[in-house]
Amino acid sequence: MNAVQRFIRSKVLLLTAAILIAAMCLSVLVQTQSQAALNRTVDENSRGLYDILVQAKAGSGGALMQPEIATGQGGISFDQLQGIRDLQGTSVAAPISLVSRVTQNLEAPRLEAMDYLGFNSGLVGTATAGDPSATDPGKWPAAESVLDETPKKYRLTASATSSDGSSEQTLFKSSAEGTLGKGRLVEEQTDGGTSVRIAGPAGETGIKFPAPAGGSEHNLFNLTVALPMAPEVTESVVAVDPVAERALLGTAGDFLAPLEKAPPADARNAAAVGQHFESLFTSGISMKELEEGPDFLGVKLKYWAPLMTQYQQAKISGQLTEDSQAIPLIVRSGTSLDLKYSVKIEEIDDAGNVVKDVGTVDRSLGKDYLPFVSKSPFALSWPGSTDHSKLLGNPASFGRGLYTPATWSTNFASAPKYADGSTAANGAVDKTATAGEWVTVNRLPEKTAAGEPVDQTQRNPVDERSYRENLDTGEKLASPLAMVYGTFDPAAVQEAAGDVNRLPLGGYDPTPLTLTKDAQGKDVQDTTLKPSLSATGLASQSAGAITDYYGLAAARGYEKNASVIDAVRVRAATPGSWKQVQPDVEKLANEIRDMGLEATIVAGSAREDANIFVPGYSKDGAGKESALGTVQQSWVRQDAADAVSGSLTATNITLLFLTLCGAALLTGASTVSYVRQRRREAGTLRAMGWTQRRIRSWVLEEFAVGAGLLALAGIILSLLSWNLATVIVSASVLVLYAAAAFFAAQQLRHREEIDQEPQHDERLIAVDSPLTFANRQLTTNRFNAISLAVAVGVFGAAVGGLIALLIDIPRAAGASALSGMAAASVALPSIILGLAGVAVGLLLTLVTGRFELQAKRQYLGTLEAMGWNPDMLGQVRFFENVLVGAVAVPLGVLGALGVGLLLAPYAALWAAVAGLVAVLCWIPIATKVVQ
Amino acid sequence: MTNDLNLRRARGNDDGEGSLQTRANTLVKAADHGTPLELNNITIRYGGGKGGADAVSVVEGFDLTLHAGEMHCVAGRSGSGKTSILTVGAGLTLPTSGRVLWEGESLESMGDDEIADRRRALIGYVDQGGALIDGMSALENVLLPAVPDGEVDQRRDMAKDLLDLVGLGRRMRHRPAQLSGGERQRVAIARALILGTRVLVVDEPTASLDRASANRIISILKDTTSDGIAVLVASHDHELVRLSDTLTELI
Repeated sequence: MNAVQRFIRSKVLLLTAAILIAAMCLSVLVQTQSQAALNRTVDENSRGLYDILVQAKAGSGGALMQPEIATGQGGISFDQLQGIRDLQGTSVAAPISLVSRVTQNLEAPRLEAMDYLGFNSGLVGTATAGDPSATDPGKWPAAESVLDETPKKYRLTASATSSDGSSEQTLFKSSAEGTLGKGRLVEEQTDGGTSVRIAGPAGETGIKFPAPAGGSEHNLFNLTVALPMAPEVTESVVAVDPVAERALLGTAGDFLAPLEKAPPADARNAAAVGQHFESLFTSGISMKELEEGPDFLGVKLKYWAPLMTQYQQAKISGQLTEDSQAIPLIVRSGTSLDLKYSVKIEEIDDAGNVVKDVGTVDRSLGKDYLPFVSKSPFALSWPGSTDHSKLLGNPASFGRGLYTPATWSTNFASAPKYADGSTAANGAVDKTATAGEWVTVNRLPEKTAAGEPVDQTQRNPVDERSYRENLDTGEKLASPLAMVYGTFDPAAVQEAAGDVNRLPLGGYDPTPLTLTKDAQGKDVQDTTLKPSLSATGLASQSAGAITDYYGLAAARGYEKNASVIDAVRVRAATPGSWKQVQPDVEKLANEIRDMGLEATIVAGSAREDANIFVPGYSKDGAGKESALGTVQQSWVRQDAADAVSGSLTATNITLLFLTLCGAALLTGASTVSYVRQRRREAGTLRAMGWTQRRIRSWVLEEFAVGAGLLALAGIILSLLSWNLATVIVSASVLVLYAAAAFFAAQQLRHREEIDQEPQHDERLIAVDSPLTFANRQLTTNRFNAISLAVAVGVFGAAVGGLIALLIDIPRAAGASALSGMAAASVALPSIILGLAGVAVGLLLTLVTGRFELQAKRQYLGTLEAMGWNPDMLGQVRFFENVLVGAVAVPLGVLGALGVGLLLAPYAALWAAVAGLVAVLCWIPIATKVVQ
Repeated sequence: MTNDLNLRRARGNDDGEGSLQTRANTLVKAADHGTPLELNNITIRYGGGKGGADAVSVVEGFDLTLHAGEMHCVAGRSGSGKTSILTVGAGLTLPTSGRVLWEGESLESMGDDEIADRRRALIGYVDQGGALIDGMSALENVLLPAVPDGEVDQRRDMAKDLLDLVGLGRRMRHRPAQLSGGERQRVAIARALILGTRVLVVDEPTASLDRASANRIISILKDTTSDGIAVLVASHDHELVRLSDTLTELI
């Protein structure tokens, strides 16, 4: 029988070789597939809408780029922009700049109590004449009021609160008292005849909040109480080149189309535009045309009212100059800013005691809020009130109850001051006024992540000819006029632009903040902070409006070739995935750097969560600051693609290594099994006169057949995969196999057994129970017991590794966008390798368990014949496995911990727990199997 | 396999006494409660799966009544069912049909635990080759049957006496690997007797032993019968067959 026949006959050798070849193939196949999937995922997801972010030279930055749109440096000229566009490798160069902050005063809030006086021709006759939508005066209802004939004393408490979703801030709380009663018509004789006016009842003091709020006033339909001002909301405005921006965003940038059609700079004179609209309204305009938007140079200007309101007010106040510009804007639709304004109404007696709680009314900044186009005046109705003003019909007046113009400002916050305890002329008393700074949205943080103060001033404006000139003296204040062309949905832009949209000055959206720990450092349920008004203005939301570069010039002033561009986003002309285009992108970046600009290669970056402790988030009445806690915000990590690839490649190689270790152990176990089978055969050959060397050669020849098969498999795999890892794996397996062969041959050497008189071993525990019997058996068969324990430990470690992988893959998915995707792409191969590890561990326990199986059956049969009952035999089996398990537990737990640390550090502890559970579960299962 | 299960050959021993013949005749009598072991119409088949069409019949309708102090030998060629009869008699396996009675009580009515308890008190089983537990000394092996009842310490002296009796007083600390085949058999016999057993079931005790060792074993077995212990032995050793009180030869 030749070596090949003997090899085939020897099932153990065949099994060992088959296992090793399978391990090689599986490892190489899985590793290759996994690596390919990983590279593909990383490459395909590491190229965003643009490849290079160009900024003016500034200080050096760290690896993480804070996505705060207000920290850009500016300083790029139009000539430089054109220079970038002229580069051969440039496909799109889209400039972006932060124009300014615009403080949007909300509608002056008021409380309206129904105090309807009925029809009086002297007051409303002309208002209803000829208006078909007006109600016939003869059909007007009788006068009615929620107020009494005799004035009663009321206390009004107005307050504003804002919530970021985690905590609520009271922005102010102010009370005023006074008497209110049903209004009356007063007829007075004047020189020209009879005058009719509306007056309060006798004895009414009215209610007045401190200035600038004003007091109460009766009119034909109601009594209006002017309330303290609502908080200001400041919006940021960014400027883009609409054409380049649409090229960057694709169809998601279609909202910018109106800006492409916006009038050229010489047709944006605010006075000329205003006059054009005035003439439109003077000459007549249909309701339909009014609702759709009057045509202005071919564009339907739907949101015409803000422009006209500002135009009229600027004209009246003398602020409209020949330099005043109409700035085209696309405004953000909707807001999530939380602001609630409420008024509590109480009827009180002279001593100030509450006689009746009339009710509380409130209004919130709704989702339909549009910056610069406030559609929801802050008018609150007294409980029980009815709006009778509709009796007048639709006056088609755009000036009534519409909008308060936006005030352009470079300030980030304004702080209305209220005097505590002041008494109005009409007797209204300001009972409480909690002074606090008004804080605006998108304000810069007061402190950096390192706790250093941040320069709160906006970048120096560039020759602000239009409205900044003479601003200090107020002599020639010229407000730019917001000309709203349309709206945009920030979510749609964010979705189209992806993660890179949140690079500094890369897009319009600061990333949201998620509160993860409170100020004391305790974990809290993750809460995404909603934009709110707070002491620091930390909360953020996307830009309120987008304008074009003419708008930027109008707001900031313009000089020929002014360096007003903050950043340019450049997409390279070469198509393909990140790795494919990397050389071209780097070449393009170098060319841009040669122009004296800072060029950051964004391709290959990815979003990553950063934890930031936020101090000084809120202030109490005494001005004491309180920290918010720790917030999590997505920052952008440069070179994330390489980092993710490197990390997961290391995991792949680790898995490969662990699989090999499993194969090595299995080979060892199989070898032991082989040696046991062949020892008697070797003895026979010895008896036949074979020398030790001849016997060893005889064994090694059989192993050589397996080694040849392995080498062949390794060569084929290496040629097919053509990578170094495969060669290393193949060579390692071959070395492993050769080592096993020599070990086996060595073990077959003849050993002289000397029958010595036994020494009584006092350390041996007397056998008097199933436990001591099991203990003695394991002690006697130490090698087998330890082999089995190691196998069970490997099984536990493999289970732990698998659990670690399963746990860590979802974690990785949540850690960062790219690593999540990359981890998901290699999840299946990783789990397959993990399962292979578990299978190897299981196989090991079976192979090593078989070492002792025959002997175990024999002595269990002997015990049964002696009268040991089934229960005691079960105990023997159980205790044997418990003792093996006791040795295996530390191996399994430490092994699982080690594998966990190598593969998935965040889940290492869970891996250890899984390893422990796996070993503990093995005990009853093995007990059952042996039975 | 064809077995002449009813072949019972009564024969005299060396001294020509006819008592064995007399005792052999009593085997066919109905069992009384004093009879330690009785096998009634035992049939043993192996395999066959569903329906038993392919079952191999090893023993058919075997009867045996073993009285105290009697040695009965089951002889026959290899594979004739000797060991099967012994394991059924010792309650280690159940027959395909027929009844096994220990002191007149059928095993059918007993559960596994009760069979084990009764076996421990009644039957001493000696496997072919002795079947000692490796890693335990001769003395510890002998004491193993006492473990379930927690009588290891109480029976230690008795174990030593038994080892003395079988001629291994000086080898009681040796382990099975350090004992010869005959010595292992003797340890196994001592172990079978440790609980004061009344039936000794011995499988091929002299197989692969030299004549001297075999004679030693036979002598020990014969001695046990004089203590009132019934011995059921499977063997094709002529000397053992010759010294048995009764014989069943399986064909």
